[in-house]
Amino acid sequence: MIFFENTLVTVISLSTPLIIAVIGETISEKGGVINLSAEGTIMICALFGFMMGYITDIALVGFIFAIFLGAFISFFISYCDIKLRMDQIAVGFVLTILFTHLSNYLGQDYVRISGPMITKMQIPLLSKIPFLGEVLFNHSLITYFSILLIPFSWFFLNKTTFGLSIRASGENPTAASSRGIDVKKMRLYGTLIGGGLLGLAGATFSLYTKYGWSEGHTTNYGWIVLAIVIFGGWNPYRAAAGAYSFGLLQVLAIKAQSVTLALSQILPLLPFPLMIFILIFIQYINRKERSSIPKIIISLVGGNQPEALGKKLPEEIK
Amino acid sequence: MFDIENLKINLIRLFLTLIIIFFTLILFGISPFEVFESIIYGSLGSYSKIIRTIIVWTPISLASLALIYTFSAGMWNIGIEGQIIMGAVGSTLVARSIFGDDFISPYLQIFMAIIFGAFWGLISAILKVKANVHEIFSGLGLDFVASGIVIFLIIGPWKREGIASTGGTDIFDKASWVPTIGNSNFPLFLLLVIFLLYLVSALVIKYSSLGIRLKATGINIFATERFYFTSDKYIIFSYLIAGGIAGIAGFSQSSAAYHKLVPSISGGFGFLSILIVLICSRNIYFSFIVSFLFAALIVGGSQLQIRMGLDHSIIGIIQATFVLSWLVLQKLELEKLISQKITKVFVK
Repeated sequence: MIFFENTLVTVISLSTPLIIAVIGETISEKGGVINLSAEGTIMICALFGFMMGYITDIALVGFIFAIFLGAFISFFISYCDIKLRMDQIAVGFVLTILFTHLSNYLGQDYVRISGPMITKMQIPLLSKIPFLGEVLFNHSLITYFSILLIPFSWFFLNKTTFGLSIRASGENPTAASSRGIDVKKMRLYGTLIGGGLLGLAGATFSLYTKYGWSEGHTTNYGWIVLAIVIFGGWNPYRAAAGAYSFGLLQVLAIKAQSVTLALSQILPLLPFPLMIFILIFIQYINRKERSSIPKIIISLVGGNQPEALGKKLPEEIK
Repeated sequence: MFDIENLKINLIRLFLTLIIIFFTLILFGISPFEVFESIIYGSLGSYSKIIRTIIVWTPISLASLALIYTFSAGMWNIGIEGQIIMGAVGSTLVARSIFGDDFISPYLQIFMAIIFGAFWGLISAILKVKANVHEIFSGLGLDFVASGIVIFLIIGPWKREGIASTGGTDIFDKASWVPTIGNSNFPLFLLLVIFLLYLVSALVIKYSSLGIRLKATGINIFATERFYFTSDKYIIFSYLIAGGIAGIAGFSQSSAAYHKLVPSISGGFGFLSILIVLICSRNIYFSFIVSFLFAALIVGGSQLQIRMGLDHSIIGIIQATFVLSWLVLQKLELEKLISQKITKVFVK
């Protein structure tokens, strides 16, 4: 039981940045923008978050700076996408390449040094509950934030006018526009929120779960985020479940290291084939009659890809 | 091809991009002239450096060529990395087989690399056509699956005698290396492959119906149906060709660059080629030149470290800044304004 409890605690705290990033990317994609710069944004925000934290010796400054940097990067993508009508995928891709190199270059002086730490914060009373208390209520503030973010983002996307407008802009920009929604603004806001969360996730890596900085510190996490968003079928709950499963996978990979080297290297790659299977399944479900498939399967592996995902805004939206 | 107006605009854009890079370097506190000199010297300064440049140019130019096919069909072939990796796996398979010490080995390797690469491309294409999976997601997934396969092979069945490490497989038999002329190590073979593929591709894209149809597929998938051919077929075609060519790039990586299979066999050249093709906008002559410049940058970059003590990542920054400024300038259409101004001045 102790082993089980410890594993769960590790999984929950290890998955903190992934949860934040995955939800950020989900919101961005719901608004119709594939933020393909995720890999680069997380990387550079990890560096700058750590840098700022180190310079000021206050972790919070690092987190806040990273949020603004992430949002600024996504603002640039939005500007290219909405104003210049460039291919958002092209811009995101180039930014990823640019930021991975840039972070390596700028981060040379910050390799393997230590800066401010964030401490655990037990929640009084609740942390005394056996098992649950240890698993859920004995983490750092950022982990609580990531847990709360899951229901909040679901509520935001499904129950608020703002969230629904973002979704409408991602599904059918023309229709949303004729219903009086300012599609350009909504697209921008969705991307900004998503970018800010990606930035926060970056800082969470370098200031918490993968403490410090080294060359290529968060390599591949951005791509994994893109995979988990799809695995989650653009639903915050399922995306979070995906992120936690990936956290579990990482823990297993570390444990497997002593048994077979191959397994520990290959396990972390599992999200990618899974992503492809989910995508195939979504198409399969969409072609068949929905009623002929058990509901539970649809809710587990189905999902609605935003109709206008990755597409340019129609010309008629001025 | 000889569109003077277009050429003028591109030259002005090139000039503006270079200015941006110039100031970026100054911003980092680096002398642009020194960087320029080091890169020229480091990539073309000696016989062995020229050879290295060619060995790097081969995969980049081939991957860029491959991407021109898929971009022509309107597909974002981000799976190019995986196709290169699988090409390398195919070629390693031959190098480790009974043909490995035979003179025929390199030719068999190319054949196998094409099949493996094309197969990997085909998966993306089929997912796109049959299951409507966005090619970015399938490509990205397949990239990582391919690298998983390579890691598995290196640690598992193809591990070095006694040790299981991620350092790579055993070095290939000399017969499996890319052939060179006589006793020198000049990779004429690779140059021939590049020239041949580019020549054939130029002809195919310009004169054959396949080229025209690929373009039509890229411009408007729905319009193609009205011209009585399905775009599906051409998407699959483009991926098969691209995968095959990328496979040859993988062959070059395993048999000319490393002489073995290593985990990062693609060297990130697939993603780099995407950058190249983004600025070449499907122009095959441009990609031929730009890929050479990028290869020279990479090889010359190692010189930067020795001479100026700069980290090699500065090269990646230069390349990405170049592409990003190019793309943004293209949309801002500043060059047109400048070009008109210049014309006005000269006419007056």
